[in-house]
Amino acid sequence: MAVQTFLFASLIIFSSIESNHGATEVSLFTNLENSLEVTAKPTRVGVVWEAGKDIVRITWMLKSSAKVNDDAAFKTVEVKLCYAPISQVDRPWRKTHNELSRDRSCPHKIVSKPYDKIPQSLNWTVDRETPTGTYFIRAYGTDVNGYEVAYGQSSDAEKTTNLFSVEGISGRHTSLDIASICFSVFSFGSLLVFLVKEKRKAKLQQRK
Amino acid sequence: MDVEGKGEESRTTTTRRFALPVDSENKSTTFRLFSVAKPHMRAFHLSWFQFFCCFVSTFAAPPLLPVIRENLNLTATDIGNAGIASVSGSVFARLVMGTACDLFGPRLASAALTLSTAPAVYFTSGIKSPIGFIMVRFFAGFSLATFVSTQFWMSSMFSGPVVGSANGIAAGWGNLGGGATQLIMPLVFSVIRQMGATKFTAWRIAFFIPGLFQTFSAFAVLLFGQDLPDGDYWAMHKSGEKEKDEVGKVITHGIRNYRGWITALAYGYCFGVELTIDNIIAEYFFDRFHLNLNTAGIIAASFGLANFFARPGGGILSDLMARRFGMRGRLWSWWIIQTLGGVLCASLGQIDSLTGSIVVMLIFSVFVQASCGLTFGVVPFISRRSLGVISGMTGAGGNVGAVLTQLIFFKGSTYSRETGITLMGIMSIACSLPICLIYFPQWGGMFCGPSSKKVTEEEYYLAEWSTKEKEKNLHLASQKFAENSVSERGRATTHPQS
Repeated sequence: MAVQTFLFASLIIFSSIESNHGATEVSLFTNLENSLEVTAKPTRVGVVWEAGKDIVRITWMLKSSAKVNDDAAFKTVEVKLCYAPISQVDRPWRKTHNELSRDRSCPHKIVSKPYDKIPQSLNWTVDRETPTGTYFIRAYGTDVNGYEVAYGQSSDAEKTTNLFSVEGISGRHTSLDIASICFSVFSFGSLLVFLVKEKRKAKLQQRK
Repeated sequence: MDVEGKGEESRTTTTRRFALPVDSENKSTTFRLFSVAKPHMRAFHLSWFQFFCCFVSTFAAPPLLPVIRENLNLTATDIGNAGIASVSGSVFARLVMGTACDLFGPRLASAALTLSTAPAVYFTSGIKSPIGFIMVRFFAGFSLATFVSTQFWMSSMFSGPVVGSANGIAAGWGNLGGGATQLIMPLVFSVIRQMGATKFTAWRIAFFIPGLFQTFSAFAVLLFGQDLPDGDYWAMHKSGEKEKDEVGKVITHGIRNYRGWITALAYGYCFGVELTIDNIIAEYFFDRFHLNLNTAGIIAASFGLANFFARPGGGILSDLMARRFGMRGRLWSWWIIQTLGGVLCASLGQIDSLTGSIVVMLIFSVFVQASCGLTFGVVPFISRRSLGVISGMTGAGGNVGAVLTQLIFFKGSTYSRETGITLMGIMSIACSLPICLIYFPQWGGMFCGPSSKKVTEEEYYLAEWSTKEKEKNLHLASQKFAENSVSERGRATTHPQS
């Protein structure tokens, strides 16, 4: 009886989980216009950037080659940190997908600003929780409903140029290492203490 | 909850009195879930809780992988290798644990293992590379050998009619840890994050929780537990009540018993399947149905949480079948349920809809976990002298099944995940067939009745002792066990010796 109730309840609960298929409007990357020009200039050149420390100057603007009114639909610009192909190898959770709602290659949001016809820029400190990897920067132009209509990126179409490496924080602390050692010694030590006590108890029993 | 058995209440030769009715070996003939009476029910609660904590620690990493893989820059290959490492360590450990229990008793053997693997869990907080990750998962995984000590301990404390239930509930509630951890670890992680830590530090701190639980559960076992109803192994060795056995002989008798090899293979394809699913199912739902990580995690947890009633259900079913049909009932029910589990597994891979997959997965989880419970309804009767070795072989076989299955079907991209699951189901069905070959001369097998030579239980169990050893009275425990195991003849009046 309990089994049947459990199965029935689970069926109800899980039926109400909907996956993300069948959105009325599907944004595809290949449909986007490459009408934004994005540049990323670090304050320290030629080194691996450190998460939480290094600063990058990001600028974005409409390309000079763009046609007039290409930016009519833009409401906001979303700037994101994206993985370069080398950081996607053997990591399916960072896969590039043409359907933008399923795309996982640009998970780190940098900033979201309303679109302005003049070139915009930002001094961005690499976020402290950015993982180790190789990246480039991409900006999406989104319309009133939040759907992407155009993009621009700091690298080329094959994502091979202008890439930069970030060294993430390790998250390790000396205090944690010390705590591990202490607790481990405590575990082993108490085991030895118990074993010695057991032996003594057994000897006493024998003498009785 | 009361499970009554048919054991006789007999007066013990010593003046000990027990809270529960006992047989001539002082094993309890009933199972009272809500009691903590010394020594039987207390042993039950201590052993399942310790095993639960070990399971939580071994599978603490999978729910936090989205964070760990970014911190350590892991690839999918690294994660797959760590998954295999986590279950392969305990193959060896389970074999050794069986012998250790035979020699030192389950209390010391299990607590020693739990305390020596806790450091692997603590040191997880300091790892900085994929190799470190694989190593800590490997060493922490050794603690899964406490499964063998749990089964051994229950088989020592509980009599035939209730041993399947005791084994099933203890193991099921221990395996629950694999599901519970998928809920516990993310919760602990978010609490620590809210307290101000970055996510790359928070997951490291989170690992101290399962580590500490593991350590303290071992303390509880050492302080409050007892190996046998009559006392501890060491005390009894010295007082002469329990003779120390020869390691070589114990191992040889275990290995030579073909039934242990069959149970090892069959267990590899119920428990091994369960472990494999624990490692891959969240990813499967995440990728195939594009769920978010939290939802996939809840589904993954529900597979493991079914252990709360599914595995105990298998053990209880085994005991119920034994009451009516004896050992033959145990064997039939085990084979049927495990084969059905394989069929459900094969169909899981073929289903395209999310709801359908979840429903089939839940039913599948009940069948596969019940099979694990049914396995250990049979194992306690295969050998008395080498109970530990047989339990260890079977338990190790479970892990070998998991390692093999993950290597063949779930490494790299030879097979898609769904094809891998279907093939795993088919392999389960095939590897459950040998159950038909298990034959006890005193009780029969699936397709044959008891031997026409009228072999008694005594003859079967005392065959493990030589005449010289019998002269020294080393075989008395087996003798008592044989007398109590007559209940495995079942109620059918067609048994030639009834």
